[in-house]
Amino acid sequence: MKRGWLPPGLMAVLIVALGAYTAARQPAFLSADNLNSLLLEAMPLALVSLGQASALLVGGFDVSVAALMTMCVVTASFTMTPTTTGLALVPGALALVGVGLATGAFNATLIWVFRMPSIIATLGALSILQGASLVFRAYPAGPINSAVVGAMTAGAGFVPVAFIGTVVLAIAADLWLYRTRPGLALRAVGLDGTSSRRLGISAGRAVFLAFIVCSLMASIGGFYLAAEVQIGSPIIGNQALESIAAAVLGGASLAGGKGSFIGTLLAALFLTEVDNVLPLFQQPTEYADMTIGVLILLALVLYQAPELLARSRAAWQAARAKATWRAARPAGQD
Amino acid sequence: MSGPGATGGVVLRVRGVSKAFGAVQALRDVNVDCCAGEVHALVGENGSGKSTLLGVASGAVAPDQGTVEIGGCQLRRHLPAEARRLGLGIAYQDFSHLLELSVAENLYLAAPSQSRPAYGRMGAWAKTVLGQFNLDDIAASAPAGSLSLAQRQLLEVAKALLTRPKVLLLDEPTTALGPEAVEQLHALVLAQARAGVGVVYVSHRLPEVLAVANRVTVLRDGVSQGTFEAASVAEEQLVALMIGRSLQLAFPERGLRGSQQEVLLAVSGLRGERFGPVDMCVHKGEIVGIAGAEGNGQLQFLRALAGLEQAAGSVTCAGAKVDTRSPFGAMRAGVVLLSGDRKREALFPVLSVRANTTVQVLRQLARFGVVGRGRELRAMEELVGRLRVRMGSAEQPVQSLSGGNQQKVSLARSLLRGDVKVILAEEPTQGVDVASRFDIYQVLRAKAQEGLGVIVKSSDPLELAGLCDRVLVMSRGRTVQEIPAHELGERRIVEAIVGSRAVGTAAVGAAPGRPA
Repeated sequence: MKRGWLPPGLMAVLIVALGAYTAARQPAFLSADNLNSLLLEAMPLALVSLGQASALLVGGFDVSVAALMTMCVVTASFTMTPTTTGLALVPGALALVGVGLATGAFNATLIWVFRMPSIIATLGALSILQGASLVFRAYPAGPINSAVVGAMTAGAGFVPVAFIGTVVLAIAADLWLYRTRPGLALRAVGLDGTSSRRLGISAGRAVFLAFIVCSLMASIGGFYLAAEVQIGSPIIGNQALESIAAAVLGGASLAGGKGSFIGTLLAALFLTEVDNVLPLFQQPTEYADMTIGVLILLALVLYQAPELLARSRAAWQAARAKATWRAARPAGQD
Repeated sequence: MSGPGATGGVVLRVRGVSKAFGAVQALRDVNVDCCAGEVHALVGENGSGKSTLLGVASGAVAPDQGTVEIGGCQLRRHLPAEARRLGLGIAYQDFSHLLELSVAENLYLAAPSQSRPAYGRMGAWAKTVLGQFNLDDIAASAPAGSLSLAQRQLLEVAKALLTRPKVLLLDEPTTALGPEAVEQLHALVLAQARAGVGVVYVSHRLPEVLAVANRVTVLRDGVSQGTFEAASVAEEQLVALMIGRSLQLAFPERGLRGSQQEVLLAVSGLRGERFGPVDMCVHKGEIVGIAGAEGNGQLQFLRALAGLEQAAGSVTCAGAKVDTRSPFGAMRAGVVLLSGDRKREALFPVLSVRANTTVQVLRQLARFGVVGRGRELRAMEELVGRLRVRMGSAEQPVQSLSGGNQQKVSLARSLLRGDVKVILAEEPTQGVDVASRFDIYQVLRAKAQEGLGVIVKSSDPLELAGLCDRVLVMSRGRTVQEIPAHELGERRIVEAIVGSRAVGTAAVGAAPGRPA
């Protein structure tokens, strides 16, 4: 699986290169404060992208994640208010997780039981959650418990503890995916549904697992989004397309069966770094979107380079074979 | 040579199974038993219900009626995983490989949990497994997609055996195998039977299957024609049971073509991934049939001629070289394909009959870039009338027509192009009602009499026998026999397909009137 390392490797190189370039011109970039805020800023996108990668692995994708994160922020503004303290916060936090699990189960049911394309099913969930958020909070209101925010953003040095946890999670998930039989089976379902069914692998279980994990990760990302905005805003989440971009940059294929959680995490980090760096150069953030768009296209061409090379080589060989055949043919037959 | 003698209890019991797909009754009240230690052959023509029966037995297809018992337990939920659990292993004709994963990973996924090693030792384990099945030439780390078809076929059997099944189903396991590999596979099958596995062996190659089978069950039109001891039944008897469908069809007169011996389409050394090299020719005014069991390269050969499948070799039409690298090149040379996949390849289902008929000739119908509706309708009217397309109006979406009338529309479109020299018809009457069949046969024959050449690829020997001037039989991607007009008959074609009158792989078809 040597080629599997290309996407994470490329992302790591890009992160370091952009960081070095920026640090050489803006020493403030490497300050502990800036690095801490960069990593915290990356948390919502990193978490939701890990979830998105699991949906992509089974050949689907989930566009409802951003609306779900918004819904979680809104929920937090009711269940984790500054007046709630101690153990009363536990059900408050579970409420967010519950919203995530319910959305995941809803999506997976539409996709597996009712055989809907994942984009349609999750588009429905997106609209429902968006509407619900606006019903509960017509405008940003309801502060979120600052003690919780403090605990979630606590750091060991400049690195937030939660970020370390996310790295560990991504590594564990990749080990599961590439070093265990259930992980292999999950990739098999994404690669070829018919063959994996013939081998007795339950595709339904894989789809449910993937979409529930996706929504669950989005709701945990919602915690960090809530920690960032600290108020019940009904219009905050916008990570749906960015999370797909991160998963694809990290090595996932829209056709399913491929991807890397570490690569996805690195890609999410890189996308946040681009966002973080541009203001340091007094560049408008609009350029970030354009940069990201161009980078995605370039990365995809690069990832497919082996196939493209193989295809052109095959075409070349076919042409050679034809020429040889023509030369060897008895004369006067044309 | 016959298989092992002693047989144990019944490991697969199919009782009273019926299954219909829409209006087609694929199986009707079929009973088959396979005992432990027995090789049980299942034979029949294309479309006789063999595949459906295997689907039912392996849990992939839920029967309308009847039951399946595996190792004494009834299959209650019709799922492949459930059949596997009860002890059924199956080698699919079109395989169950994950082409992007390595051979080792494919074997690992196929192995049941008891016999699976730790994930980290997968490579070494896969190597041992490949050694056990004499597949040492396959590298465990190679992607399954890089294997040859023969290797894929042997790997498929190995995967089925990894589950240590009580009953093993083999669906046409020798389609891509050469004689040596067939021997190797048969040795493996006999060893399994000796070890007490019940083997159900589906094949259309009678001599091959009779060499290893203890008993034979014949299917025809979804109905069992009985089960026989392999040692006491002659091939001719089996062929007689396989043929003789009840449906009566009418075919147009062949007419005389005595003097027209001019070669129109000449194919020499054409080879693609799943066929070749093929040498053949079509004369002016001739209808040539392509017969064979499904999956022997007929379809790919026909599609290569139409530029839809990669192939090397030479094709000339009326003396000019045909560029078979794209459908466009073939069409320019006057070679058009009547695709068997009407919905996806031949027609635009939601567009009207008019639009579907004229879509290829709009430039000729347009004046200053604008297509006149009147000109369009006049162009199609005569043809649609001649083909007897039954429709409410020309503006009706083509998907609302019956299968037969859809086929006529797709035929009309090809004929509207004035420059057609050769028609390649792929399963021209699949899903077509009896009345429309005759209309289609008649048009093909009329076109041939006008001097066109026609190639018909059909899985129905009866149709080929009635319609064609000569039939080429393909096996393992090559033409193995040519049946001339005076010998044509369903029985003769089926005999050639099942190989009871095989004459080796001599090049045929190119002999008369090869272009000099």
